[in-house]
Amino acid sequence: MDQKDDYVIEMLHITKEFPGIKANDDITLQLRRGEIHALLGENGAGKSTLMSVLFGLYQPEKGEILFNGKKVEINDPNDATALGIGMVHQHFKLVEVFTVLDNIILGAETTRMGFLQKKEAREKVKALSEKYGLYVDLDAKVEDITVGMQQRVEILKMLYRDNDILIFDEPTAVLTPQEIDELMATMKEFAKEGKSILFISHKLNEIMAVADRVTVLRKGKGIGTIETKSTNTQELSNMMVGRPVQLQVKKDKAKPGQAILKVEHLSAPSRVHKNKNAVHDVSFEVRAGEILCIAGIDGNGQTELVSAITGLGQTNAGKVTLCGEDISHASIKSRSKNMSHIPEDRHKHGLILDFSLADNMVLQRFKEKQFQHNGFIDKPMVRQYAEKLIDKFDVRSGQGPDTMARAMSGGNQQKAIIARELDRNKELVMAVQPTRGLDVGAIEFIHAQLVEERDEGRAIMLVSLELDEVLSLSDRILVMYEGEIVGELYPEETNAQELGLYMSGAKRMDRKEAAV
Amino acid sequence: MSRKNNEPRLLEGNGFQSVLSSVVSIIIGLLFGMLLIFIVGALDKNMSMKTVWEGMRLVIGGLFSTGRGASGELAWGFNSINFGNMLFRATPLIMTGLSVAFAYKTGLFNIGAPGQYLMGAMTSLMIALGIPSDKVHPVIIWILAFLGAMIAGAIWGAIPGIFKALLNTNEVIACIMTNWIAANVVTWLFDISKFKNVTESTKSGYIYKTTFNNVATTKLGLDKLFPGSQINGGIIIAILIAIGIYILMSKTTFGYELRACGANKDAAKYAGLKDKRDIVLSMAIAGALSAAGAALYYLSGNTELFWSTYQSLPAIGFNGIPVAMLALTNPIGVIFSALFMSMLNIIGLQITSLTAYNEYITDVIIAVIVYLSAFSLLIKQFIARRMSRKKKEGAK
Amino acid sequence: MTFLIQQTLKYAIPLMIVALAGVFAERSGIINLALEGIMIFGAFCGVLFVNTMQDTEWVYAAYREDKFGTLQLVVVMAMIVAAILGAILSLLLSFASINLRANQTIGGTAINLLSPAIVLFLIRILEGQNTLFLAKGDAAEWFMINKTMFGYGPKESMGFLGDTFVHKTYITNYICIILFVLLSIILYKTKFGIRVRSCGENPHAADSLGINVKKMRYAGTTISGALAGMGGFVYALTTANCSSNGDVAGFGFLALAVMIFGNWKPGPIVGASILFGFFKCLAAGYSSIDINGDGIFLLKELGLSPHLYRMLPYIVTLIVLAFTSKNSRAPKAEGIPYDKGQR
Repeated sequence: MDQKDDYVIEMLHITKEFPGIKANDDITLQLRRGEIHALLGENGAGKSTLMSVLFGLYQPEKGEILFNGKKVEINDPNDATALGIGMVHQHFKLVEVFTVLDNIILGAETTRMGFLQKKEAREKVKALSEKYGLYVDLDAKVEDITVGMQQRVEILKMLYRDNDILIFDEPTAVLTPQEIDELMATMKEFAKEGKSILFISHKLNEIMAVADRVTVLRKGKGIGTIETKSTNTQELSNMMVGRPVQLQVKKDKAKPGQAILKVEHLSAPSRVHKNKNAVHDVSFEVRAGEILCIAGIDGNGQTELVSAITGLGQTNAGKVTLCGEDISHASIKSRSKNMSHIPEDRHKHGLILDFSLADNMVLQRFKEKQFQHNGFIDKPMVRQYAEKLIDKFDVRSGQGPDTMARAMSGGNQQKAIIARELDRNKELVMAVQPTRGLDVGAIEFIHAQLVEERDEGRAIMLVSLELDEVLSLSDRILVMYEGEIVGELYPEETNAQELGLYMSGAKRMDRKEAAV
Repeated sequence: MSRKNNEPRLLEGNGFQSVLSSVVSIIIGLLFGMLLIFIVGALDKNMSMKTVWEGMRLVIGGLFSTGRGASGELAWGFNSINFGNMLFRATPLIMTGLSVAFAYKTGLFNIGAPGQYLMGAMTSLMIALGIPSDKVHPVIIWILAFLGAMIAGAIWGAIPGIFKALLNTNEVIACIMTNWIAANVVTWLFDISKFKNVTESTKSGYIYKTTFNNVATTKLGLDKLFPGSQINGGIIIAILIAIGIYILMSKTTFGYELRACGANKDAAKYAGLKDKRDIVLSMAIAGALSAAGAALYYLSGNTELFWSTYQSLPAIGFNGIPVAMLALTNPIGVIFSALFMSMLNIIGLQITSLTAYNEYITDVIIAVIVYLSAFSLLIKQFIARRMSRKKKEGAK
Repeated sequence: MTFLIQQTLKYAIPLMIVALAGVFAERSGIINLALEGIMIFGAFCGVLFVNTMQDTEWVYAAYREDKFGTLQLVVVMAMIVAAILGAILSLLLSFASINLRANQTIGGTAINLLSPAIVLFLIRILEGQNTLFLAKGDAAEWFMINKTMFGYGPKESMGFLGDTFVHKTYITNYICIILFVLLSIILYKTKFGIRVRSCGENPHAADSLGINVKKMRYAGTTISGALAGMGGFVYALTTANCSSNGDVAGFGFLALAVMIFGNWKPGPIVGASILFGFFKCLAAGYSSIDINGDGIFLLKELGLSPHLYRMLPYIVTLIVLAFTSKNSRAPKAEGIPYDKGQR
């Protein structure tokens, strides 16, 4: 057999439907033995669904899966494991209160008369982690370790099960550029040993750097499979989006005015460990007409910093001034007089999923005079207002203002939140990961809206985990590491590599320099 | 896809689906009751098939039972006492049902209605019996007793609310504990009071009727409609309150705020709403509603309270849960589901007096209905989703 | 002192075992609010079993001839009956919450309404009154372990330990303690235990590792039902003279409170049960408690109202919960129906 046709896994003509949407429409993917095969597509293109089919979490309506040329049924993850398929999920599948070791052995426990035998397991995991340089603390609880280490736990879970078909679902989203390099090296080592790797990503540079071949998906359909050697990022990006993409945000140079938000020596407690500080003595300001970006790896205190400023969380020390007013201990309501907030978690904070879109649009404003008379809500007025926002921000939904928020797509939910928040016309716009999980079209739209707000003289505080977004959208960057601001940079003077060094704590400016 | 469609809104179809799913629950519940009667009758050597057949018929039509005719056969017809008593017994059920439904809309499970009900009963009775009617007009005493009960209930309901809001205590457990505390407080305070009925020596453990002090709910002529029954104007008051709660919840800013808190506490907090205050307030209102139910029941003038109640909690309080669930927590629906529950109650009495079965059969039926309602909410959502999807596909 | 310890254990042991019932359900991800109802049902089934057995010649002969081994066997069999029927009743909850993804609070409440209704319906038909008693004699006389069984004379002492933990106790206490220890070990040290716990914390993780979440949740809830049913019978036997009347006075909810106070962990639950058992014991027997054996009934002489003592367990529960709820850590996925599609 020709080595080229030595396929270990073939997914042929896979179709998977969810209520109202064809997530996978006749997709074919063939994985060669010992190759790194990238699966490229936008958010919502159907990559994760396809992989869940392979992993046995979903059953496809049509199509078949071949393993070493023979047809197989994969009905649950046990079947997948039996075939040697392992997966690092985008959202880690870890039990937070269990130890690292317990997480690794869960589902593949060695037992004697039903009792767990952890000693052998420990030896095996230790050997694996030494062999591949995947350092973890086996007795730490998962909730206490960093995101990077959690990912190593996920990789060790696959190795512990002796998997040799490894699926990585968006593994780089949570890593610094340096950690990404390490991961790529590890992946290449796996491939050299004969393991076959499926690498899911929407980041073109990474795919070009590590993959042998790439299969592109768009809106649930397979667009094609090509060798990375014979293509370039521009072509891949056109295949992925279906049109040329504006990779750079169009904007003029910022003209910063006076400081709108001033944060002085702020400390805030951690969400997980209430008696520890997640934000240590942070000081900075956001000026009118600029987009200030807080960059950093997830879990370095960004969430707590935002919570302390918006009032959703607590403050242990320090002072926050908004438009000249000390709001350190003010209520959320009085803070929102001058601040709009696009929250990190749109389902938890941003929307009431069981309310209609119209009701969601007046979440902060239903008590305003125009929407109520003597305590009775003026429903026609609310509806009219919602329709106005829907038109202006192109929010699409089944039944317009009457649609239940739950029934809307993620992108449109986010657009609805952004419409509501930006229409409140506040001096400060707090935008936390405003484009997470959205497709390129929605991302471009939201970026343009934020730039427009900036040009109207508002202060924008952006918190983002995506380095591309940080570099293209911001006027000034503050890097957070372990609850402190370790660097202040300007996008035109820096690059991803340098940002990565700050984000991983390898580099830091001294405090005076950083704390502006 | 048209965004500005002015078709009838889903909500209107929604009402129909709700009624449908409740009717299905009721039918299954009644069938189960009949099945149980059949099984027990078939297994029990002392029961004849005739008894079984009578029991099964009474489960369905007990409201229209007029006892046994001269021949010893069951007799049927309009029974004004049954009807009037059904309306009378529905009165407190409407209130406790509203109490549970109100709290549920704001995201809280008020299993504390029995305790709130007891506090209302105690306060209303103490005021109604404690203020001498020769000095104050009985109508004023009635109003004071009614309001007093509501205040007491509000305070009692607010306690688990405060625990929940400030200390994150599970409201179900807190409510259960306040129930038992209430049962003991009521027993204790009546034990040391002068309201224990000692004049009628045939009865022990009861409090005086409020007519002892000339206080009683006005009949509004309803007793003429249903002669021989206990009915009075309380049912009208309960229905008006239900309508008021409906308007409050669905039309006002206050209702919007409470519903927002109930549907998503975090989003409510994010929007600057006072989520903690709303939890306490909502429990207080729920408590006031339960207590008002007790006041309407005990101020009627012909009901007596068994005061040594520390070992048991009033069923009317717990039955607020099935009433609310069967109504899918809609305040207007509560009126009808309470009427249905009190009809079952009357049926239970008929079964006990006419057959070898007993009134607990109706409690079994109620429990089955609640069990079904646990997923009737889901069934309803399922129907709604199917309908909206069809609509969407049609629009494409 | 002996009296105080015995009385406290009388309440603490059913509390402990029913709280563990709660742990198994909640650790698998299902809120079991139905503990109260299942206890009521278990109590009825166990008592009915004992009641029926008393009428058989085999058991009655054993009673006449003082064959206490046979009588103890009857108690153990009644425990098993109560456990099996409790487990069956709990299937109503499992089915609604696991297969139909219903609201677990309402499902549990339905069982809490259903159980006393059915029990009272049946007792009324069987007995013509609202309580089912033993067919003959009382529980102590039939089933209590006595020092005479071990050859001690009526006036002899078994020593402090013997008098406290053997004389005038029920075999159920020791079975419950053994079961408690055994099940706690299973929960932490076995494959089954770690899998159950993973389903209550992160069912998506468990599912991705090939663990059958539905099966584990059924297992957790069924064990929970069995323990609660058994606990209900133990409660009826040791505190209610082996009678059943469709009520356990909020004991199932107290057990839930003990579970929360014990942070869903067996060790702290033991402590919490003893604390609550102590207050229950005060409430029930404050007037006959002679703390240091000097013949002075201190609590009685304090002259506090009996109503106060009766309220005490509930007030203590409320206060203790208030102080522990902020830091308590429920299983993360409890109460949330598992939906494969959601991530």
